[in-house]
Amino acid sequence: MKKFLRYISPLAPDDSGACSVLYELGGITVICDAGGCAGNVCGFDEPRWFTKKSALFSAGLRDMDAILGRDDRLVAKLALAQQQLERDFTAIVGTPVPAVIATDYKALERMAEKKTGVPCITVATDGTKLYDKGEEEAYLKLFKKFAEEKLPTEKGTAAVIGATPLDTGYITAERIVSAIKAEGYEEVKCIGFDSGLDEVKRISRFEKIFMISPAGIRAGKYLEEKFSLDVEVHGCPLPEEYIEKLKALEPKGRTLIVHQQMAANAVRDIIGGDAVCGTFFMLDSKAAREGDFHIADEEDFAEKAKGFDLIIGDISLKRALPEHKGDWFDLPHFAVSGRTFTK
Amino acid sequence: MTEAFYITAADLAERGFENTPDELMSHRHMIYSSPATLDFNSPGAKGFGVKRAGLAIPGSVMLLVAPGCCGRNTALLNELGYNERFFYLLLDDTDIVTGRHLTKIPKACKEVCESLDYTPTAVMICITCVDALLGTDMERVCRKCEDETGVETVPAYMYALTREKRLPPMAGVRKSVYSLLKPQKRISNECNILGYFSHVHDDSELYDLLHSAGIKKVRELARCSTIEEYHELSRANFNLVINAEARYAAQDMEKRLGIPFIELTRMYRLDKIRNQYRLLGQALGAEFDDEKYYDSAKAVVEKFIAEHGNISAAVGECVNADSFELALALTEYGIKVSEIYGTVGERNFVFIKKLAQISPDTRIFSNLSPTMLNYERKTDIDVAIGVDAGYYHPDLPCAQFNTEEQPFGYEGVERLMEELDEALKKEEKK
Repeated sequence: MKKFLRYISPLAPDDSGACSVLYELGGITVICDAGGCAGNVCGFDEPRWFTKKSALFSAGLRDMDAILGRDDRLVAKLALAQQQLERDFTAIVGTPVPAVIATDYKALERMAEKKTGVPCITVATDGTKLYDKGEEEAYLKLFKKFAEEKLPTEKGTAAVIGATPLDTGYITAERIVSAIKAEGYEEVKCIGFDSGLDEVKRISRFEKIFMISPAGIRAGKYLEEKFSLDVEVHGCPLPEEYIEKLKALEPKGRTLIVHQQMAANAVRDIIGGDAVCGTFFMLDSKAAREGDFHIADEEDFAEKAKGFDLIIGDISLKRALPEHKGDWFDLPHFAVSGRTFTK
Repeated sequence: MTEAFYITAADLAERGFENTPDELMSHRHMIYSSPATLDFNSPGAKGFGVKRAGLAIPGSVMLLVAPGCCGRNTALLNELGYNERFFYLLLDDTDIVTGRHLTKIPKACKEVCESLDYTPTAVMICITCVDALLGTDMERVCRKCEDETGVETVPAYMYALTREKRLPPMAGVRKSVYSLLKPQKRISNECNILGYFSHVHDDSELYDLLHSAGIKKVRELARCSTIEEYHELSRANFNLVINAEARYAAQDMEKRLGIPFIELTRMYRLDKIRNQYRLLGQALGAEFDDEKYYDSAKAVVEKFIAEHGNISAAVGECVNADSFELALALTEYGIKVSEIYGTVGERNFVFIKKLAQISPDTRIFSNLSPTMLNYERKTDIDVAIGVDAGYYHPDLPCAQFNTEEQPFGYEGVERLMEELDEALKKEEKK
């Protein structure tokens, strides 16, 4: 049965993705929910919640707020929070509740800006899609709102889009920055990951923009068109110990890598051969290689994973393939299991 | 930037409940789900949220019918061994506006039952805010599922939107987990304890006192390991409700099964505990002899005060107590309570009024206020009580006092003092 999960817990949703992008940017992020979605984001999908503080709140909607569409109350609460915390911008992230009542995000954005006096972005997530869709929209909205002018290009600089704990399994950008610096860049910034809103505003100064997950591709295209920036798809840097372990893998016939596309590409570059990528997330033609495929759900996964001798992917997915007799190499994916590389 | 908002007990008592500042009323501001509050501020988060609680019926399984975002943190429960009991029917964007998913639920239920190598005792169908807004008649859907599978099917409403309503999610799920009980002949010397999804600590005097009043069998849902044991719950002569969230379930059991109930409150003031037992004894037509338990708890308190009395505490709400009643009890014992992180309500305002008289400067904060992002300690505190208080004061000794098994009565007081003593002594050894 489609959309029925027997073995796998639900994957990280779009609202978590949007919050992940906004987390370190110094604004007030409001999850437009009753409390449960915020609990999922803060308690599960945001590993930085326990190490870095962020003004990430739940709107605390109640049934009559939703039924009567009391957006004015939401905006009043947001204005109170802004008055108390004095942040540079606000962001409203959607959940199933505003989706059911067809909230007008554009109007909400205007109302919030008028009431708080600072810019507001809204991300129309609805909790039914996966994290990368939420990240994609959040990146795009951020650049459209805050990256206004073309700055002089600074040689030897690179910015990375698509780097969040959900994509990368890291809770700091350290490893990504060092990997890209090793390619000859003097200054590397991961947007929204150990960096703030200023780097979003000044994105056009970077000599190179790397996209290390499919969630960054649309924003990359936008920046290419608007500022003629040099954008490129890049493999998602893996931890050194995983690189060593992957190098040591013996060829096992047909190999399937199950991860986000750019992490899978990085694995493929390490192990060589003709491994293919299967992903529950976005499969972008720019990043995908021949034979790569999208996985729609658990049933589809069981079907498409047949015949592979080695699967490289998060070990929590193994339960969904009880008939898989080949080997399994555990490569954590936070958006799947909530495991980082560090724990 | 605003500092973390607080009000002193004296100021709050003077204003009265009706004039409680907006910062202490969660529906009047954004909600800060800080790491301190995660385990109680989301109906599906840690501890016993609706999802885990819904599986309290032995041998049951759960089908969560919701957008993926609602079931995401269920993975946390996998670590507790629940992964074999959870199933999901994910909703897409068309489902959540048209409600077309309702026709798929019976088929999904069938698939759940067929995928197991045993017949579950019940299928709990957990639905969320989406169906609250769609006005789904889940009872009807459950009947259809039963027709399809032959297995009893029960709704569990994880409606975060209705958290402050007459029937909030955690009260609703308590009704759900007792709803499979069928009327049967009641046995005069048997009773149930209703309140939590874990049982009361084995060494609570509550059991002894009930036995002394002629009650031969005291049952709790959390102690039922088979469906047969579960069904024996409806033999009880009466229910003892030790948590107000179980009141609605008790009322439903009274109506359907004819089991009356008596409501008790968990308290930490010895004289109030004694008084409550006296009243319970009267209601049961027995006289409880609680002298030895009272004396023992009193001695433990006195010993603690003699050793550590001159200390200041911060009391949180992620704790097996009402934070205000606990703060009042500690203050009466001689411990200074500098700060409380709690949710002010009509019911616990009475404790605030009393606290104002004996500790007027105690600062009251709301865990959920966005201003708590800026919290800094500005009072003298030696020990934190509660998981949340421990979060704000990571450098101080902390008695979490938040076990799943529940303290009750004099035993609870002793346990609290022992945990506090242990935390303070651990700090001394450093």
